[in-house]
Amino acid sequence: MQSVTRPPQNNHSDTALNLDPTILLPPGYYQHTYMQSGNMSAPAVLLPSDEVPRDNLPTDNSNPLRLGPGLRILSQPSSKGSDHVLTATQAGMLSIDAKRNAASLLTFPNRRYIPTVNDFVIAQIHHSSADFFHCVITPHTPHALLGQLSFEGASKKTRPMLKQGEMVYARVQSVGVGAGAEVELTCVSAATGKAEGGMGPLSGGMVFDVSTGMAARLIRASSAPVENTDPIEGLVVLSELGRKLESLGGFEIAVGRNGKVWVDCSDAAEGAVKATIAIGRCLQETDQQNLHAHDQKKLVTKVLRELKLVS
Amino acid sequence: MVSPILSQLNRPDGSAAYKCPATGYNILGAVNGPVELPARRDALKPEEATVEVFVKPGTTTAGVAERYVEGILRSVLGKVVLGREKGFPRRGVIITLAIAGGENMDRGDSYLTILPSLLHAALLSMISASVPLSMTFSAALFGVTKTGDIVRDPSPTAAKASVSLHVFAISSKGHLLLNESEGRFDFDTWELVHQRALSVCQGTASADGDVTMGEGAASASLHGLIREAVEDQIYSDYAYKLDSI
Repeated sequence: MQSVTRPPQNNHSDTALNLDPTILLPPGYYQHTYMQSGNMSAPAVLLPSDEVPRDNLPTDNSNPLRLGPGLRILSQPSSKGSDHVLTATQAGMLSIDAKRNAASLLTFPNRRYIPTVNDFVIAQIHHSSADFFHCVITPHTPHALLGQLSFEGASKKTRPMLKQGEMVYARVQSVGVGAGAEVELTCVSAATGKAEGGMGPLSGGMVFDVSTGMAARLIRASSAPVENTDPIEGLVVLSELGRKLESLGGFEIAVGRNGKVWVDCSDAAEGAVKATIAIGRCLQETDQQNLHAHDQKKLVTKVLRELKLVS
Repeated sequence: MVSPILSQLNRPDGSAAYKCPATGYNILGAVNGPVELPARRDALKPEEATVEVFVKPGTTTAGVAERYVEGILRSVLGKVVLGREKGFPRRGVIITLAIAGGENMDRGDSYLTILPSLLHAALLSMISASVPLSMTFSAALFGVTKTGDIVRDPSPTAAKASVSLHVFAISSKGHLLLNESEGRFDFDTWELVHQRALSVCQGTASADGDVTMGEGAASASLHGLIREAVEDQIYSDYAYKLDSI
C-alpha cells in the first residue's frame, strides 16, 4: 500500500476554497463591465480596502458570483442609485475560479484558523462532560464541543471513552450565530450516519503542527485527481515519501485545516517511529522553508538518510 | 533601504519587523488573534473584537510612557480592525510591539518620535495575521524648527530641539486617521505640516512642489513602501502557484 491520504474527497471541495455561500451576488451583476481578462502575467495582490479589479472577475453570468473570505461587497451611493464594489478586507493574492464562478483571496499561510462549517479538523480532547467532549482546535480559543454520541454507531451503551489529550479527526458541524457562539464538531456524516473520510478517534501515530496555509495546500493537493502526475500545488513531498517508504509498509496521514497533520506508520514495525518522525520533519521543513519541488525531493532523501531509513 | 519583513516569526499568527529608514528605530511586532480574552473583558464590547496593544521597550520595563502610547495605538488600530467579521466578535486581537533597536530614549522624552514606526509595525503584523481591516494607513513624523522649517523624521536629538512635533497617520483613502501634536504651533503651521504629511504618505507632490531634496530614495510614498513589503511576501509565499502559470 502506498501513502493513503485521509479524506478530502472531491465532494468536500467547498472546504478547500473555504467559501462562504451566504454571500451571493445576483447573476449578471457584472454584465455591464464585461471585458476580456487579458494580462495574466502577475496575479493581483490586494491590500485591505483595495477594490477587486472588475476585469479579473469571472465573466460567466449565469451563476451568482461566490465570494470567499477576505472579500466583501460594499455599496456606494452614487448619482444613479447605488453602486456596488468588491473590496478586500485582508491582504492576499486574488484567486479566481472561473469554473465555479468564485473569487477568493489567498492570504498569508501563517494565519490563525477560524472554524468554518464542513472543514475537517484535528481536535484534542481537553475534558469531557455529561453530553460533550470539550476539544481544543486552536490554542487560546474557547473549546469546541463534540457530542458524546456523534460517533459512528455510538449509543448510550457503546460510545468511545476518550481521555484528556486524545486526538479526534472531526468535521465542523456548526459555528453558531452571533458573537461568542460555540463551535460544534461531529465525527459522523449527518446524511449517512457513517464516519466518512476517516473521521473518528485517531489512535497511534503522532500529530505535527504546520501552518494553516500548508494544511489547506495538502488538502487541495490530495483532492486532485490521482492520474495527474504533475506536482499539484507545488507539492511532491508526500508522493516522494510514499514512494520511498513503500517498502516499509506505507503510511497513513490525516490533515486538519487547523494546521495539524496526523501521521501513522504502524505497519512499519521497528521503523515506525523513525518513519513517522521523518514524514513530520519533511512536512514541517517544506512548510517553513517554502521549498520548491526539487528541493522537496532533496529534503526527503536527506532526512531519510539521516534517520538511516534508506541507504 | 531596508524594507519591512513580514511573517518572520513562526509561532505568532502574524509578525513583522520594521526598521524606520530615517530614525533607525527597529520594531518587532507580533499579532495573535482572534483569541479568547481573559476575565470578562469581552463583555465590554460584546459585538466586536477588542484590540490590545503592548509596547515593550528594549532596555527597561514598560512604564507610564508605554501605557500612553499603547492608548494612542489602541484607538487608531481599533478603528481600523473590522471587529465584526466572522470569528472575531468577543475575541481579542493581541498586538505586541518590541522595540528591538534604535537610539536610546530617556525617561520623559517624547514618544512621538517612535510612534510612526510602531504604527507601521503594528499594521504590517496585522496584515500578516490576516486580521480583517477596513483600510491600511501610513504614518509620518514632522518636527518644526525654531526658524519654522518643517523637518521630516527628525532624530530624537533634533526632535528635542524642535518647537513642535507632529505625527500624522493617513489612510489608504487619504483620510486623516491620527493627529498627535506636541509643543507650540499655530493653525497655519499645522495646515502646512498636514499637507506635507499627505504628500509623504500618498506620494503626490504638493501644489507648491514642497517635496524637498534630501529625502532621496525615501521620497517614494509610504503607502507604496507598505504595499511593496506585502506584495513581496505574498509572491514568495505563493511562489509555487506563480511557477505553474
